[in-house]
Amino acid sequence: MSSITIKESVRTEAPFDVAERPMLESWLDYHRETLAWKCSGLTADQLKERSVAPSRLSLLGLLRHMTKVEWFWFGRILSGADPPALYVSRDGHEPDFEDLDDSPPKDVYSLWETATAEARRFAAAVDSLDQRAQKNPWMEPPSLRWIMLHMIEEYARHNGHADFLRECIDGSTGD
Amino acid sequence: MYRRQHGRLALISEPQRIYSPETAPERATLDGALDFQRETLAWKCSGLSGEQLRERSVPPSHLSLAGLLRHMTEVERGWFARTLVGEDRKPLYYTQERPDDDFDGVDSQDPLESYRLWREECAESRRLAASCESLDQIVARRRNPADPAPSLRWVMIHMIEEYARHNGHADLLRERLDGATGE
Repeated sequence: MSSITIKESVRTEAPFDVAERPMLESWLDYHRETLAWKCSGLTADQLKERSVAPSRLSLLGLLRHMTKVEWFWFGRILSGADPPALYVSRDGHEPDFEDLDDSPPKDVYSLWETATAEARRFAAAVDSLDQRAQKNPWMEPPSLRWIMLHMIEEYARHNGHADFLRECIDGSTGD
Repeated sequence: MYRRQHGRLALISEPQRIYSPETAPERATLDGALDFQRETLAWKCSGLSGEQLRERSVPPSHLSLAGLLRHMTEVERGWFARTLVGEDRKPLYYTQERPDDDFDGVDSQDPLESYRLWREECAESRRLAASCESLDQIVARRRNPADPAPSLRWVMIHMIEEYARHNGHADLLRERLDGATGE
């Protein structure tokens, strides 16, 4: 099977001495691109492979999960928007990492790209990092600052998973 | 520090993790997030035997939980002591000849000692960061004075994402050891 055309991403590390907001934006984009890089050049079967058993994680599952995480934090929580219904569970289990045959990797990647573009748009519409989110998930409505940093942590953590998944698929490594 | 847990000798007891404050100014938010990530690594190492901590449980990777503790000790020392304030503190575990011995030398050290030294280094890092008045402060040491150098802000966010990335490794290492999962 030919490999799917997830582009070889162009990653740029955050600039050294910029202000708070461009620094957070750069680090978040760096980790988005890192996930795309870890997924690049693989076949659909490889992207679906749960290569670190017993974990149910796969690279495709991570892309699906992060698509929903982008919509959740920037769409629903920050902006009070209604995200599209994606990867809905059929029988109550965690759908992001299951039912991987329901959507072709090209579509998953495209939906993830749309989600990141929309997330950037939602964030850009907020004037200040101190501004509180519209909604309260389970605590005080967090500031945009908290959401940006949380997203960096969320991506970085999952990119750690992506490192091992990829290494167990084809031996490639790199941070 | 030793205590019985699940019928075996647990080297590291479970830490208290506190989420970063949701509405704080920049510096308190970064401090909180970095400490949360540090505590997450300690949590992933808690309740295991020395043998488990040294196990390379996701081959072909040579990473182990004890290796992560040793690596993060070096990362803390490299960024906060050597780079941020310019102290002349040599690496503990690796050399120019053996650059990967933070990960590869785990069998030569009691993991409890690795953990203790990591905790000490984190405390030192907190002290050194707190001694800087502003997140805009540029680090003391640069390879070439003409090159751009990172601010404390950059160092803090880098440390947070560095820990988070390695905690992703820790998640899967731990799941392979005893099935335990959790964010």
